[in-house]
Amino acid sequence: MRIMLGRARSQFFVAIVLAVCFSLFIAACGDDDDGGGGGDGGAAQVKETVKASDCGPEPGQKASGEPIKLGALATKQPGTDFSEIPRMADAYFKCVNDNGGINGRPVEYVIEYEQTDPGQAASQAKKLVETEKVLGIVGNTSIIECDVNHKYYEAQEYFVIGSGIAPTCYSTPNFAAVNMGPRYSSDGATQALIRQDVKKIVLDQSNVPGTDYIEEGPRLITEDAGKEFEGLKENVPIQDANSAALKAVQAAGDGGGVVLNFTPPEALKILQAAQQQGLQDRVKWGCSTPCNTDFLAEALGDAWDGKLFVNAELNLITADAPDSNLYREVQKQYAPDIPLGSFSQMGFIEARIATEALQGVQGDYTKESVNEAFKNVKNFETDILCNPWYYGEAPLHIPNNVDRTVTPKGGTMVQEEDCFPISDVDPAIKEVRDIEKQDPSLVGGG
Amino acid sequence: MPSWEEFRPFIVTGLALGGVYSLSGVGLVVLYRATGVLNLAFGAVGAMGALIAWELINNANWPDGLAYLVCVVFGGVVTLLYGLLFGPPLAGRDPLVKATATLGLALILLGAMSWIWSDKARSMILPTSNENFMVSDVLVNYTQVIGFAFGVVVTVVTAAFLRYTNLGTAMRALANDREITATLGVPVRRVEAAAWLGSGLLAGVAGLLLSNLVGLDANTLTFLVISSLAAALIARLQSLTVTLAAGIVVGLVNALITPILSISEYRDMTPFILAIIALLWLSRHREVRIGRAAG
Amino acid sequence: MVIVALLAFVLAALPSMLSTYWITVFTAVAIYAVVALGLNLLMGRVGLVSLGQIAVLALGAWVAAKLLFDTSLPFPVVILLSGLITMVLGTIVGLPALRLTGLYLALITLMMAGAITVVLAATDFPNGGPGFLAHSESSLGSGATIRRPAVAETDPAYFRYVVVTAALMFLVALWHVRSKAGRAWEAIRQSEPAALAAGVNITLYKLWAFALASFMTGVAGALLAGNVGQLFNYQFPTRDNIILLAVVLMGGIYSIWGALVAGLLFRYLPALLDTWGLPADLLTILFGVGVLQVLLTAPAGIVEQFPKDMARLGRLVARGAGRVVGGVRRA
Repeated sequence: MRIMLGRARSQFFVAIVLAVCFSLFIAACGDDDDGGGGGDGGAAQVKETVKASDCGPEPGQKASGEPIKLGALATKQPGTDFSEIPRMADAYFKCVNDNGGINGRPVEYVIEYEQTDPGQAASQAKKLVETEKVLGIVGNTSIIECDVNHKYYEAQEYFVIGSGIAPTCYSTPNFAAVNMGPRYSSDGATQALIRQDVKKIVLDQSNVPGTDYIEEGPRLITEDAGKEFEGLKENVPIQDANSAALKAVQAAGDGGGVVLNFTPPEALKILQAAQQQGLQDRVKWGCSTPCNTDFLAEALGDAWDGKLFVNAELNLITADAPDSNLYREVQKQYAPDIPLGSFSQMGFIEARIATEALQGVQGDYTKESVNEAFKNVKNFETDILCNPWYYGEAPLHIPNNVDRTVTPKGGTMVQEEDCFPISDVDPAIKEVRDIEKQDPSLVGGG
Repeated sequence: MPSWEEFRPFIVTGLALGGVYSLSGVGLVVLYRATGVLNLAFGAVGAMGALIAWELINNANWPDGLAYLVCVVFGGVVTLLYGLLFGPPLAGRDPLVKATATLGLALILLGAMSWIWSDKARSMILPTSNENFMVSDVLVNYTQVIGFAFGVVVTVVTAAFLRYTNLGTAMRALANDREITATLGVPVRRVEAAAWLGSGLLAGVAGLLLSNLVGLDANTLTFLVISSLAAALIARLQSLTVTLAAGIVVGLVNALITPILSISEYRDMTPFILAIIALLWLSRHREVRIGRAAG
Repeated sequence: MVIVALLAFVLAALPSMLSTYWITVFTAVAIYAVVALGLNLLMGRVGLVSLGQIAVLALGAWVAAKLLFDTSLPFPVVILLSGLITMVLGTIVGLPALRLTGLYLALITLMMAGAITVVLAATDFPNGGPGFLAHSESSLGSGATIRRPAVAETDPAYFRYVVVTAALMFLVALWHVRSKAGRAWEAIRQSEPAALAAGVNITLYKLWAFALASFMTGVAGALLAGNVGQLFNYQFPTRDNIILLAVVLMGGIYSIWGALVAGLLFRYLPALLDTWGLPADLLTILFGVGVLQVLLTAPAGIVEQFPKDMARLGRLVARGAGRVVGGVRRA
């Protein structure tokens, strides 16, 4: 082969590399990468009494006129990808636009992504508010965004509806989450294990900022029940899952319980390591809500059937109920490449809440009227959540504080315990319950 | 301080982890001995192979064995392609330049993997992972044994191959000085290609084993290389046996620190600290140079 | 002189032309250009590769945050102190490592970066809490954020502040390159034995380079601390050490202006791609290709290659135009 000189050769290389990448990409697309992973089987058995067009007020009528602009910011980078949540919200908005819109007007939804760089997260928020001039923010799901931007949102008077991850998302007045977040979800898993009569609870979590805060809730609940508690941390990504699993089991001791708080791939490593060392029966195992995904159930296999108590902040994706059916219909028609699971459920419910709130706006759609509408959401009933959702004016928001427990069985997650309230031994939950008592209309009472 | 009872099972997990580090470390040193290139994309190649195998098994319903084969072949082909395209033009450059170039490959693969496969909990369990036996009341599964044994076998076979066969000698000469080797009539390109292919197949197998032993996750498997480098560095990228031993020691120390709760948080520093100590100790009298890969 | 004009433009006119979003993007560009400058000097002037500059940046940011919370020193003093403390740390770390060369040095810096990352995961960053680590774990931290300089509270003002500081760093670099140290570095880069024979104190000048790079990175760390008011481990992932190397190479290591290009590649290009709706993964692939391209064909990087490419393009265009004109004339 005649040696090609400098420039031509490098271009040849670049071309080869790009060709290889491209062909792999095409191959992967063709294989329908992780689409329709878990839920389709279940959906087929459900009576389809619901049509996707039920998402909007005028079925079949396309919305027209000046769009109502909404925005979202989510983390999307190698290792952490929350893009499914705003993308599913986008799918719902598209459905709404096809079926009457919001008082006839379509929704324009701008999604920005960040790669866990605070400067970037701050920039993107400013872009949404000042450049794109969105009227409301729905669907935010980010590891750092709540910390970085909450003061900005307060200053700009935006009331954000999103999915919370950092502790700050649950302790500021301008963010209300449809999910529970790591601390309260770990509370729920702890409660589930306590009901299994364990002698000691070990909380093992990923060593990312906020661990002490997350630990506080399960610790208080465990000690209030008269049991011993220990908190452990693992650096992620985990390279030595065997030792991690062993350490947790040793700390819990025979007859103890281990609650895991990790992202699904990391939790899977520990659970598989535990299984391969025969440890899954030595202690009781619980997991916070990230484990609630059929992907995990499938990957775990039947060795874990009924042995993992996962706190579920949302209803099963296979539930036969109006909103759940609508969710699957919208997914099928508008976002078939987004897998069924808690992420897309969250995106669906957030968009639905926003839509309902916006339908009720009288007069002009401005930043003020939109955010007022979001703030005034109360008693939003949906079968995807245990209790009605609400926003309201309060120093903190934890509207989703009643949960289920699920467990893997035959490759999917099935319900193990029905809705139970998260213990108010956790002071933040107590504060929220007090708020609900003071204004029962938030959850449909009074 | 934990009791001996509590330490004991961590010896077993430590050996398993050591097997992981040894496997990758040996893979790195093998290629370095044969071509003078430290392939920092070793982990990324294996990770992509494993993900492709996962894709074939789970979404295209291929039989497991065939998918594993594809993984190994993929490792070989990608590494061979890289070696054919980028090996000769960089051959005369400093080992640092050659290693940096492999970082370029690692970035390309990392970007491609994260683009094609989003972050999900994936699992690809070899049949040997479900068979196990007891060692001092810790269950050891056969994949861990294979990982460990594989590291040992590769060390022994490669050392023998490089020393006693013609091809092996040609490879060592090539890594030492390409120009002179070429003038001696050795088919340089073919020898090089063989070295790259061999190393690539090794990366593919390592990817399969590591996806079981550590997890099927692009990020973890790619950056595992950095921890495995520790073992290779302790051996100064020369001796395969020392790499093997160093990998085991690093794994053992790392695991044994786990139950000591006061410093448990810092145990992931073990490979790095040991490598730094070893390098500084080895260089205390003279300047340490990576020039020719000695035989 | 082009540089001076550009600087004037950037300081005076640019902030008013751009939206807040782009101002914050370019603030980040300036900060990372300083980080890139440190690596650029190490690689281009002395031939040393460090794969741990992002870890050093994290250290500098930690020091700055601690100082800003626990003292009421004015911001410029904090910048200087962060630079100096980071310089000392970098030198201490660099001293034993100087016996290593080439690949070994690069790899040991990678090991050190790994170690620092694990420590920072354990200690986290100061957020106004108590004690030496100044870290509080309650849900809102201490409620405090890292303060900005009194004269530069707003985003456009902070942008100008950062650009001025960056320009100062570039001046320091320029001065060094033209000084005795620069000549010594050049000698070392060409051939260590020859430099040694010529009486150059190799250890001293290598150490000086490390010290300077650490100082600059420490300064950048202080600017980063004041940028968003909070620091997270997520900002300093291991992967970024490698990407920094890639962009510094692509920008060009034989001219200090390559560091500016590197800063643009590191923080401007992702924002651009995001505006066009392209995935961030594409950038990782692009950087990988860029590294290979640079090492193979254009070791001088974009900074030298771009003008050459433009010149070549210009010649091609001129030739083509000449032919057209000639054809027209003949017709």
